Amino acid sequence: MTCCLLAVGSNAALVTFLVYTAAVFVIAWAANRMLTGKAFLSEYFLGSRSLGMWAFALTFAATSASGGTFTGFPAKIYSHGWILALWIASYMVVPICTMGFVGKRINQLARRCGAITVPDLLRDRFGSPAFGLIATALLVFFMAFNLVAQFKAGSTILKTLILDVPLYGWCVHQLQVFGQQHADSVWMAFLGPHAVVDWGYLMCLVLFGVAVIAYTTYGGFRAVVWTDVMQGVVMVIGVLIMLPLALSQVGGLSNATRQLAKMTPPRIVSLDLRWEQPASEEYRLPRETWLKSGDQPPRIFWTTEGIIVPAGAVEMADVKGMEVTSTDECQRVQQQMEFDSAEVAAARVVEEYQYGMAKNQGGSYVTGPGPMRGDADGFLPLGVAVSFFFMWAISGTGQPQYMVRLMAFKDARTLRRAIMTVTLYFGVIYFPLVIIFCCARVMLPGLDHDPDSIMPRMAVHLTTNVGHGWLAGLLIAAPFAAVMSTVDSFLLVVSSSLVRDVWQRNIDPDASEKTIKRMSYWTTLVIGLIALLGAVNPPRFLQDIIVYVGSGLAAAFLVPVVAALYWPRSNSVGCIAGMLGGFGAHLGMHIWGMLLPGGKFVEPYLLFGLSPVLIGLTSSLVATILLTLATRPPSEDLVRRFFARPGAPVA
Amino acid sequence: MSQLKCDDPVFLHTRREALLILAVWAACLCWVVPYCATYGYRPLPEGTEPELVLGMPGWVFWGVAVPWGAASLASLAMCLFVIQDDDLGEAPESRHDTSESAV
Repeated sequence: MTCCLLAVGSNAALVTFLVYTAAVFVIAWAANRMLTGKAFLSEYFLGSRSLGMWAFALTFAATSASGGTFTGFPAKIYSHGWILALWIASYMVVPICTMGFVGKRINQLARRCGAITVPDLLRDRFGSPAFGLIATALLVFFMAFNLVAQFKAGSTILKTLILDVPLYGWCVHQLQVFGQQHADSVWMAFLGPHAVVDWGYLMCLVLFGVAVIAYTTYGGFRAVVWTDVMQGVVMVIGVLIMLPLALSQVGGLSNATRQLAKMTPPRIVSLDLRWEQPASEEYRLPRETWLKSGDQPPRIFWTTEGIIVPAGAVEMADVKGMEVTSTDECQRVQQQMEFDSAEVAAARVVEEYQYGMAKNQGGSYVTGPGPMRGDADGFLPLGVAVSFFFMWAISGTGQPQYMVRLMAFKDARTLRRAIMTVTLYFGVIYFPLVIIFCCARVMLPGLDHDPDSIMPRMAVHLTTNVGHGWLAGLLIAAPFAAVMSTVDSFLLVVSSSLVRDVWQRNIDPDASEKTIKRMSYWTTLVIGLIALLGAVNPPRFLQDIIVYVGSGLAAAFLVPVVAALYWPRSNSVGCIAGMLGGFGAHLGMHIWGMLLPGGKFVEPYLLFGLSPVLIGLTSSLVATILLTLATRPPSEDLVRRFFARPGAPVA
Repeated sequence: MSQLKCDDPVFLHTRREALLILAVWAACLCWVVPYCATYGYRPLPEGTEPELVLGMPGWVFWGVAVPWGAASLASLAMCLFVIQDDDLGEAPESRHDTSESAV
């Protein structure tokens, strides 16, 4: 059923994508016109520090809301239930923390020393070119990973949007034929064996990547900000349309929560299927086909892989599937869904959820720690809940891509009004998303094997039910907009660091504006293309890499930046130690986790049950304080420049 | 350095504002996590229904939704009454986007 629904919305999605992309290019063109007559670097990378309230608020909000907000987060709500309200709870203070805690001061210091990047600011604040280079190196290291991950996310979302459009199928087929004809060429070796190349993903990667790289390169920061504004509006409209539709169609939130309370997690099974009549010809049994057993009452299953049923077959063994385990959900599915004629003759349990199945773990979708497949402690043990309260609000303050935006607002009044706007914006986005996708758990059963697709499926389901399938295009543009607005910001952070902090300030201080301009365009373009190539064969565990990058940046940058802004006694030795100490401790937790039996880099060791970001921040704080106090204080000139009243007499 | 007065008004204001913001964050942490830990981590006995407030589990309403509203009000109050409209200085583009920009 969901496949049919997706098909209905796909043409709308394609039209939305095309209109949306066209609008983005118009914005980039207009932004490029504004470069004329202004100081290039400041305009290209910082919008001439002139962002007004709406532009600043929405670019900040849109950059915060990455692809994860509209894909990973809904998937988590669908998989674990109401506990995600606690997981995301610290977003209640994210705007005031991330914008208010350092915003005004970082903007003032950036103006005072003319900084246009975070490394630029640290270098000038401490009079240490080495500090600027270390900060640049860490920034480029982390951001490069993140760019690859976001490119993959963008491509995956685009592919989901246009999967059922006939033109997409035709293009993929042509690419497959082309790949077969050139199977022995050098570039095919780069893509991997022809049989496993996902041509649809590659096509969407190129479409998405070229669009983002082109408008970011051409329009610079102002284009990014204006598109962020548009993307921010798309996101909030999407949520505001979905919320009432979800509540009305599920029969009210009380009904949804009561249904959730009765649910237990599904069981992963291997199925033996049997048909009463042999198939007259070969046919495909798609994944997400609903099946029953012959028991009374029947057990309910769905397939999690598509299979080919040969002509004449009356039995199929070892078909992958999942089993609905709660009585109420079985009854609901029987009433709502269509079932295949195949009967489940036998079902072998492959895996059970480690938390959520036992009798003393009842109501796991409406209580903590939430059902979890691979961990007996559940989805959100209390130590992790505390860590996430730090993670979003405190570590969010330490993200350089946000700091850059804080250098760009026009004046303090703009900051105050923008904080108020983003506070309301996040309240309207995040908590309603929890409600919408708790409803989705009840309305769209049988997606536990593919929860990342819940956002587009829910959008299509809700709008089709009210006879306005075209609205789906707008709704499912929201996650696409979220990824685009994140990618373009990261791209500019990396290119500005290289052009400003490496080239202009260390290699060629006398570079002409024409040279800098050319370098800025080329660097943005080349970095974007490298990230695009990296995403052709992306590493696995991309969501985990995004978490690693976000927490690693906070561990490395937050304490040194706060010390630079608020501690006159802080010096370059202490802050470099804090930056490297935070980076090292955070990395150390990941390496420790990798060295454990069966461990992986993306599964860090939880020292004292706490997330690596807390260990990194603590290490950074201790290193900064100890090394600062153990070494010489900064020069009076430096302290006067950044902490004394402007125009104060020299002692 | 000891004789130097760190009396930049923006520095003094922002430091005070930053401490208040930290206090708001800490207050939210002290409300949300202990409340949810106490009332949200109790499995439902078989056959019982969860306590609901406005359709959501009671612990979500009192432990997340209400503090979310309170934190939003606190943020708005901070913006309206605490954070000051300081003069952040002139943008130095004319100084820095020319060839003499290196320190």
